[in-house]
Amino acid sequence: MQWATVEKLPKACITFYRKNRFTKTTNLKMTNLNIKYLGLDLKNPIIAGSSGLTNSIEHLKAIEEAGAGAVVLKSIFEEEIYLEFAHEFSKLGPMDNNLEFLDYYDYQIRKDNLKNYLALISEARKELSIPVIASINCITAQEWGFFARKVEDAGADAIELNMFILPTNLSQTNHDNESMYFDIISRIASKIKIPLAIKISPYFSNLGGIIRDLSFSEIKGLVLFNKFYSPDVDINHQKIISSDVLSHDSDYKLTLRWIGMMANRVNSDLSASTGIHDWQTVVKMLLVGATTVQVVSALYRGGFSVITDMINNLEKWMVANGYDSIGDFRGKLSMDNSTNLAEFERVQFMRNFGEHK
Amino acid sequence: MWRAELRAKTKNKDRMLIQRVKMPELAPGIRVKHQDREVNIGLNPDQAQTEATRCMDCSNPTCIEGCPVSINIPKFIKNIENGEILKAAATLKETNALPAVCGRVCPQEKQCELRCFYVEKLDKPAVAIGHLERFAADFERNSGVSNIPETEKPNGIKIAAVGSGPASLSFAGDMVKYGYDVTVFEALHEIGGVLKYGIPEFRLPNSVVDFELENLRQMGVKFITNFIVGRTSSFDDLHNDGYKGFFIGSGAGLPRFMDIPGENFNAILSSNEYLTRVNLMGAATDKKDTPVLRGKNVAVIGGGNTAMDSVRTALRLGAERAIIIYRRSEAEMPARIEEVQHAKEEGVEFMTLCNPLEYFADGKGRVRRMRLNRMGLGEPDSSGRRRPLPIEGSEFELDVDLVIVAVGVSPNPLVPACLPDLKVTKWGTIVVDEEKMQSSISEMFAGGDIVRGGATVILAMGDGRKAAESMHHFLQKK
Amino acid sequence: MNRIIGKEYFSDKVVKLVVENPLIARSRKPGNFVILRVGEDGERFPLTIAGADPVLGTITLVVQIMGVSSSKLVALEVGENITDLVGPLGKPTHIEHIGTVLAAGGGVGVAPMLPIAEAFKKAGNRVISIIAARNKDLIILEEEIRRWSDEVIVMTDDGSYGRKGLITAGMEEIIKREKIDECIVIGPAIMMKFASILTKKYNIPTQASLNSIMVDGTGMCGACRVTVGGRTKFTCVDGPEFDAHQVDFDEMLIRLGGYIQEEKRAAEIYSQKL
Repeated sequence: MQWATVEKLPKACITFYRKNRFTKTTNLKMTNLNIKYLGLDLKNPIIAGSSGLTNSIEHLKAIEEAGAGAVVLKSIFEEEIYLEFAHEFSKLGPMDNNLEFLDYYDYQIRKDNLKNYLALISEARKELSIPVIASINCITAQEWGFFARKVEDAGADAIELNMFILPTNLSQTNHDNESMYFDIISRIASKIKIPLAIKISPYFSNLGGIIRDLSFSEIKGLVLFNKFYSPDVDINHQKIISSDVLSHDSDYKLTLRWIGMMANRVNSDLSASTGIHDWQTVVKMLLVGATTVQVVSALYRGGFSVITDMINNLEKWMVANGYDSIGDFRGKLSMDNSTNLAEFERVQFMRNFGEHK
Repeated sequence: MWRAELRAKTKNKDRMLIQRVKMPELAPGIRVKHQDREVNIGLNPDQAQTEATRCMDCSNPTCIEGCPVSINIPKFIKNIENGEILKAAATLKETNALPAVCGRVCPQEKQCELRCFYVEKLDKPAVAIGHLERFAADFERNSGVSNIPETEKPNGIKIAAVGSGPASLSFAGDMVKYGYDVTVFEALHEIGGVLKYGIPEFRLPNSVVDFELENLRQMGVKFITNFIVGRTSSFDDLHNDGYKGFFIGSGAGLPRFMDIPGENFNAILSSNEYLTRVNLMGAATDKKDTPVLRGKNVAVIGGGNTAMDSVRTALRLGAERAIIIYRRSEAEMPARIEEVQHAKEEGVEFMTLCNPLEYFADGKGRVRRMRLNRMGLGEPDSSGRRRPLPIEGSEFELDVDLVIVAVGVSPNPLVPACLPDLKVTKWGTIVVDEEKMQSSISEMFAGGDIVRGGATVILAMGDGRKAAESMHHFLQKK
Repeated sequence: MNRIIGKEYFSDKVVKLVVENPLIARSRKPGNFVILRVGEDGERFPLTIAGADPVLGTITLVVQIMGVSSSKLVALEVGENITDLVGPLGKPTHIEHIGTVLAAGGGVGVAPMLPIAEAFKKAGNRVISIIAARNKDLIILEEEIRRWSDEVIVMTDDGSYGRKGLITAGMEEIIKREKIDECIVIGPAIMMKFASILTKKYNIPTQASLNSIMVDGTGMCGACRVTVGGRTKFTCVDGPEFDAHQVDFDEMLIRLGGYIQEEKRAAEIYSQKL
């Protein structure tokens, strides 16, 4: 199915949801889906992740109505501010007599964008009873602290740091890149009181080490992993385009693997993200040790009722397997400290392919 | 024609041998002690005539194309060469209501002089059109002879101009020539807008502005001060009083701040506040009641003409260190090169590729220190300018006791707030048809900074002229 | 224009002036202020419009002598003109029928409080007014306030008139006694700060009318900026009234002291001239 423009999807989803409204989630007698994430009480582990769908109060209310345990707002991007600014700049004519007016206009754009974002947070805080997690994405160190404090003042329950420092600066060493993450976290944590989570990409040379080390910093939760638009090539027009806007069914495997491996080695909550499209995958993630799961693409494709579906089926599965609470089975299949996954995988690989000539 | 004779008098190749005149300037050591002494002293008659001789009176004068108000440049310059300075001034007045102002503050190097034959074809310095314009206007002012341009018979139609800055003044000047009954309404107690409150005495003396204003009065333009259109009287009230056409020239008088921690401490001012206190309210002298804060270590944030005006004012008010802090490099500063040059001569320090992060105050709440980042220039973005990026770990601190924030202004929101039907952009500027300067309300026209954001005096004047012509057609058709 | 046609001393420090300005009298709403200038060398400064008569075309100003500008204004006699007067400025008070309103005015803040009390009373509210000052001499407009209030409590710090005590004590008594739907506080910044802390404790929506330093008064310079709810607002165009519980009074107090040295010096020079 070809998704023409992502922007058109949200409306379609709401319409779909409203037309096919399922009955609200009811907690079956004994089953308790409550969990704690980042120190906050959630009524279930399913979170609507940060996306274009978590950008307006109407959507947020619909998400709450569908039963989500929490919601992560669309990211506010420092980059976006500069892009908008540069775009305005590019419209200057040959007589650049507006240069003085526009020279520092990015500060104005930043003020306006922040104003809108903070208003959304305040309104969400007023209208919703589930936790509202703000998401910020910056690239310069001092902006993080500034945004974080404003977001806290506006009433967010927690902040998800959408940190991706693309390692395109080839002259910077691994160490430089990685220490930036820790610097930024310290800087922010020193300025705010609400809990911090950090969403990372898998592009680290020592991913296990980084996950472990981050979990021991000031953050309370790690979100694995961020999903990016992948570049692709349009050979007819001979240009670079983006593809894979939404995740594919099999995309969850990378997350599954790492959550499973790290669940017993970390000092923070783990939130699974990317490729969680059905209730079965939710169960898988919880089994390998995730504290919560975040869904995005599934909502674009199936509407907010997907959340209600997942919760109902999770409950049914728990009842069928005799579990009263999430804690009864979470992490049951996570790798314990003594297992070496790499070795395990190698053995499997050799078993599968070793006999073939 | 006398012009043909004048052209024949000197051969072009001789004209080309003359070097461009250098504007005499007051020595930096002297001028930093005086808020009200002009830096550029002005040409004397000999210098003016010699410079005027350089102009070759091209058959296809491209210089006029570079002028936003289409002054007949060759005509006025040739009048100077011919010794008819008053006629030169009259030529200027045909299209420019404020020639003494423009001669001083226009960025001629980007406008008329950029299109001069010398620059376009000979790769030599342009004829000093700006200096000559100023010479002619000053000569007329000092001569005591007042040349009031002709006006049509009054037609009794009442027109209102909101704001008394360059846009409205040039609009009013043209409308009154067409025969209209023009009243200019000004919110402040003095007329002239940015010419009075924004541009310092050492660049544009208020007395020069007053003289040009008197000219407009003589032509029949009425001025009412202490009148905020939309508050003192509403637009409806003015309609009822019989005004048929409106020109909105309320300017970009809304200061912008950077919103960084500590920015509301005492002794951190917007450039608007600082310049208004000194230029409009005369705060530098004890004679005037309005105070102004003085500092020993003054930092001005920004790189435009306003920043230059602010930092040079601070120097004249006794600063030991007057520093420009700009996040890009000097080459990218929007300020006129002449202003940067003068600032450097006067001892202004330039800390480029630096950006403020936070301010710190003493126990009484007055700023004493600031923290800055050094910036590096990254890849050009879609605008073509290289993007300033903070260099991580480069933070340092600076002792300051007065900070002026000169990072730009935004359009004054007062008038748009009173007119819900008026279409405005997301930046608060009024949307107008670019040729007609007409807004979404048919009898309302607009020009100047309220349409362009913060731009220049001459562009505002060009807008005023365009609006006058087009409102005239609009009203005549009705 | 701007001719003084009436002048009355409430005390040797507080003066009422009636000024002729038909346009402002006609357009003015409760809560608006004007900016004045006395003499060609004078500075621009704000005064709240305490009252207006659109028919006669006059506005009423109440001035407390504090420094050079207020002294110069008060030195004008009936028949003289105020050099420059512009208005009406600021956002008018938001008036609605809400129930019971507690209006608390400190010192010369009672002058701007008067039109607001009047407007709330006319809108059908029950109005309880507390007017307070350091001593009897500084209590003003008591009669006028009584006209527009269901109950008036007068308090002085030293007990020389009315009850002895701070305005916050009087306010708290009333709050404990009956349900207050909205509160207005006008007076010295420090008074508004503590009154606001009090009403926040009881969750009463409160509007404060701020008296920031101003230069142009039309939103052009930012001298009057205050932080409200974490964001910068201009007292002259966004105010002068704001949600008191969101105002950063500590910052405002600092900013009010921004020109203390200069004001002192100017006062010295002025008194030498006299």
